[in-house]
Amino acid sequence: MATAANSPTESRYRLDQVDADADLMVLNFGPQHPSTHGVFRIKLILDGEIVIRAIPYAGYLHRGVEKLLEKLTYAQGVPIVDKNDYVSPMSNEQALVMAFEKLLKVEVPRRARYLRLIFSELQRIASHLLWLGTFALDMGGALGGGSTVFMYCFRDREGILDLFEAVTGGRFHYNTHTIGGNRHDIPLGWDKRVLAYLDMLEPRIAECESMTTNNSIFVARTQGIGLIDKDLAQGLGLSGPLLRASGVDHDLRRDAPYHAYDEVPVRVMVEQAGDCQARALVRVREMRESIRLVREALAGLPEGGINSGKIIKMPQQFKAQSGQVYAAIETPRGELGTFVIAGGGDKGTAPYRLKIRAPSLHALSALPWILPGHTISDVVVVLGSLDPIMGEVDR
Amino acid sequence: MDLIQHGFLRGIAYGLLIITVVMTATAWGMWLERKIAAQMQNRMGPMFVGFHGLLQPVADMLKLLQKEDILPAGADDWLFNLAPILTALFAIATAAVVPWSAQIVASDLDVGLLWVLALGGIMVVPVWMAGWASNNKFALIGGMRAVAQSVSYGVPLVLTSMVAVVFTGTMSLSGIVQFQMAHGWLIYWPPGPGIIAFLLFYMALLAESNRIPFDIPEAESELVAGISTEYTGMKFGMFYVAEYVHTMVGSAIAALIFLGGWDGPFHWLPGLHWMVAKTVILFVSVYWVRWTLLRFRSDQLMRLCWLYLVPMSLALLVFAAVWVTYFAA
Amino acid sequence: MAVDEQGSAPNAAGQVEAGTPEVPVIQAQSPPIAAKTAVPLAATALSAAIGPGHGSVDESVQAFEHPIYKTLLNVPGLSVAVASLDQLLTWGQKSALFMFPMATSCCGIEFMATAASRVDVDRMGAIVRGTPRQADVMVIAGTITVKMAPKVKRLWEQMPEPKWAVAMGSCAISGDFYRDLYPTIPGIDTVLPVDVYVPGCPPDPQSLMHGLMRLQEKIGLKRAGQWVPTEVRPETEKMTNPGVRRLIDPQRDPEVTAQQTRLALAATVDEPEGELLESGAEAVEQQLPQDLQTLLRERFEVEVFPADAAPIVARKHHLHLARTLKAMGYLNFVYVVASHWPSKDGETFEVAYAVRRTGPGTTLAQWRVQLAADEPIESLAEVWAGADWQEREQYDLVGVQFAGHPDLRRLMLSDDWQGHPLRRDYPADKACFPWR
Ligand code: SF4
Repeated sequence: MATAANSPTESRYRLDQVDADADLMVLNFGPQHPSTHGVFRIKLILDGEIVIRAIPYAGYLHRGVEKLLEKLTYAQGVPIVDKNDYVSPMSNEQALVMAFEKLLKVEVPRRARYLRLIFSELQRIASHLLWLGTFALDMGGALGGGSTVFMYCFRDREGILDLFEAVTGGRFHYNTHTIGGNRHDIPLGWDKRVLAYLDMLEPRIAECESMTTNNSIFVARTQGIGLIDKDLAQGLGLSGPLLRASGVDHDLRRDAPYHAYDEVPVRVMVEQAGDCQARALVRVREMRESIRLVREALAGLPEGGINSGKIIKMPQQFKAQSGQVYAAIETPRGELGTFVIAGGGDKGTAPYRLKIRAPSLHALSALPWILPGHTISDVVVVLGSLDPIMGEVDR
Repeated sequence: MDLIQHGFLRGIAYGLLIITVVMTATAWGMWLERKIAAQMQNRMGPMFVGFHGLLQPVADMLKLLQKEDILPAGADDWLFNLAPILTALFAIATAAVVPWSAQIVASDLDVGLLWVLALGGIMVVPVWMAGWASNNKFALIGGMRAVAQSVSYGVPLVLTSMVAVVFTGTMSLSGIVQFQMAHGWLIYWPPGPGIIAFLLFYMALLAESNRIPFDIPEAESELVAGISTEYTGMKFGMFYVAEYVHTMVGSAIAALIFLGGWDGPFHWLPGLHWMVAKTVILFVSVYWVRWTLLRFRSDQLMRLCWLYLVPMSLALLVFAAVWVTYFAA
Repeated sequence: MAVDEQGSAPNAAGQVEAGTPEVPVIQAQSPPIAAKTAVPLAATALSAAIGPGHGSVDESVQAFEHPIYKTLLNVPGLSVAVASLDQLLTWGQKSALFMFPMATSCCGIEFMATAASRVDVDRMGAIVRGTPRQADVMVIAGTITVKMAPKVKRLWEQMPEPKWAVAMGSCAISGDFYRDLYPTIPGIDTVLPVDVYVPGCPPDPQSLMHGLMRLQEKIGLKRAGQWVPTEVRPETEKMTNPGVRRLIDPQRDPEVTAQQTRLALAATVDEPEGELLESGAEAVEQQLPQDLQTLLRERFEVEVFPADAAPIVARKHHLHLARTLKAMGYLNFVYVVASHWPSKDGETFEVAYAVRRTGPGTTLAQWRVQLAADEPIESLAEVWAGADWQEREQYDLVGVQFAGHPDLRRLMLSDDWQGHPLRRDYPADKACFPWR
């Protein structure tokens, strides 16, 4: 099997195809480069403009989150993980509290589960919008059509941030999930605002599509670029849109339903090609699907409490002496998991070891496999199509 | 009066005038571009200085003037300092031969078109100097790309303008316009090829002046800022200005050789108005395209040029020759 | 590193006013750090957040002045012209601020939002340039780590004078809650002089816009055309002498440290004791599908299936198990987690693995391997390419050796880092020269 046989240091670099006396050039791409999406460095070994080897270096944003979470009690962890995948903080919180709920066997009320679904789908739209904007920016430049798409996407993303702000009071670090439910219920009339927003969003997505995925330059730039075949995608541990763009029909929302996804079924968007275009298409379609899901969930939103009040008031009351759990959710970037070993802190009030399984880390580890053979212009396209968030990669 | 009649002095006077006017026009061209882009993007654009930010270009230039001048370590100082000056010089020199109306022209060369094309072609030298001398890999790659691109796109640019020369039988820019005043604008006469030639010329123009979708030498998202990566202050400003002058002169040339120059439907309006209006429309359209489209990859750019533009413009040239020989008489 | 030096840095503000009666008052407002340490925790945090702001928004810095400038000013009649030219130049400077986005994390997203349509920083003539050579303002948006700080400094040095820095967000100002953790630096003003601080986590776009307008004001207050060489900025002192004290600082009052630690670790301060929500052995369900249990029992000699965790597989079976699982269709690699278990009789490590069978009805195969100290474990990078980086990460942070890994280097920390931070005995706020 391709993935198993060789490590990326060997065959995939196509060193054999390089002219023996070619003058190779080393180009350091990053850590501060307009399109590395944060602080990330790739050392490119170039033959002319062709990449023959790419060596990624991560860790410029390693903030020691896992160590910090060992020091804090369970409930204190929520606002910290907000900052990991800073483009979809809601999903971060959910991944963390779900692991804790599993560990501590806390039930989440039905309304809270619906709200979580709505939040996570709105967050998915916001995240994909941001991705689309920055992806176009990578391709079209800050002084060009790319920035126009970027502005449109950010304008529409602001709408979602406003909705979240109305619920939680924060623009994008929310701290709204707690163990056993949600902290904030939606304000009166919020659902109408959401529906109005979604009605407005749909044609705007079409507008952005006409400037990107339906645009022939976009197609020419993305088609056949950054191919990840099915086996490589699986072996690399890719998940989410990256995996689905490579033809693997897998979505945790459908395959291992959490929240209320068993009651609001998800249609999974799959593309076979595995190139940058497929990844873009999957994400754009997922936005549409998320709009549908939010509408459906809002229609079926049950009445009732959103948490067990006592738990909210006494967050120090969680204790776990032993046990190891892993809980994962499908964030806009893929499978975000939290692995907790209980029993740390003062008599089990904190995790002994906590590991966040970040989908972006796996996405970036694909780079040495897929970059060789492409030109420098493709490097930014491939990198953008992987949608890495460095806060999540480095933590 | 004699002094004014003297060709040399007259040239100088006109030259200074043209430089002033072109630079001013360019400055507010930048403002216009920023406002247009902002409008396209649901923004306001510059607002704080002057009425709707009208003084923004002044502020930009004043600021650039005051910036520290850095010579990067390991840079070739001669070439590094010379490159922006030459770029700006060549860009402004092209403006010298542009006739803005029958009377307003600094130097009405017999080979005005050739002069413009030649200077446009030689622009690549300072660009390459800048890329080479900066001692920066991004600049180097940008310079390489710029050379490849200008050399390639120079070919369709020259060929399509040759179409106009073949039709009109002159290389003087005012001669071309006078021919069009007599026979109709080249864009619709003869029907068909004129408009194709214009579109090809326009595309080649976008590429020559490094505008999206052909701006790979600059490509901020890939090459940080391309050739100007290491330039600070006014040297960067010169590249910046040269780009706009280049675009503006290019638009003017396109208006001259395809859109009839200062010819317009009502002759009671001075020709200058028509010329300026056409130039501004073309100039704005360049930015309209720029802020709408994404960018090509360098190999796609070359393919587009050599596989489509060059053969098409060659065919057009042959057609023009045949037309002139057999039908036009 | 005398205590007094700390107190003197913010006092530069007082120097202009030399001779005026306010001087002693100003000095009294910024006492030496030793006095600060005595105040309660909350107040310390507050003053830490505000303190550097007061220190460096400082209009009084003795600036470089060209001799011609003085001469011109003294020519009768010319002074008015020079002064108005001055004003013009200053106006130019402050109205065309090109920003260099030092955007590392979440605040960077808000920085982008500031440049986007709703707030549109272009209104004030500020545009974003990707190269430091053409920028006037460096906006430091996001956490700066020890690994990143030298790069930020380098980029700062590459910017041409006159230049300004805006610290956006608590991370850039003081390190936020990562402040006392091993990989981060306590605020960007330990690296470069900051002109405007925009607090918030993240500050919303309007705040950043406000911050930039304050910067304009500040530029307007300085005379134009003159710039301050970096060397004489008093803030530069902080580079070797951080204005904000860390937990581990030898000069720090141990009382405060003890109090902070106590507060951080105490289970409850003022919460009522209610029924405890406990989780124990029974609480967590068995996590492994039945067929896998059979397989493990029959072929890999696994006897015990703990109720609350994955089964433990002997190290000799580890690689074989991985290959078997892959052949069974567990293609998607999920995680490697190493944990460190020190005890009285030495230390052990435990490495947990999981792989996934994708598609509808997805299943997760999890297992654990226990290792003695310094015992390597077979790398799975050969089997699943995704194990490559995860194993590097665990090697980096926990220090488990993966035998046969193609490229076992540190992933998160710099190559010369000492120790492995996620070990239990590694202090969370361990020092890292020279940042703390
Ligand atoms: S201040 Fe808050 S939002 Fe900004 S980078 Fe730090 S953690 Fe992120």
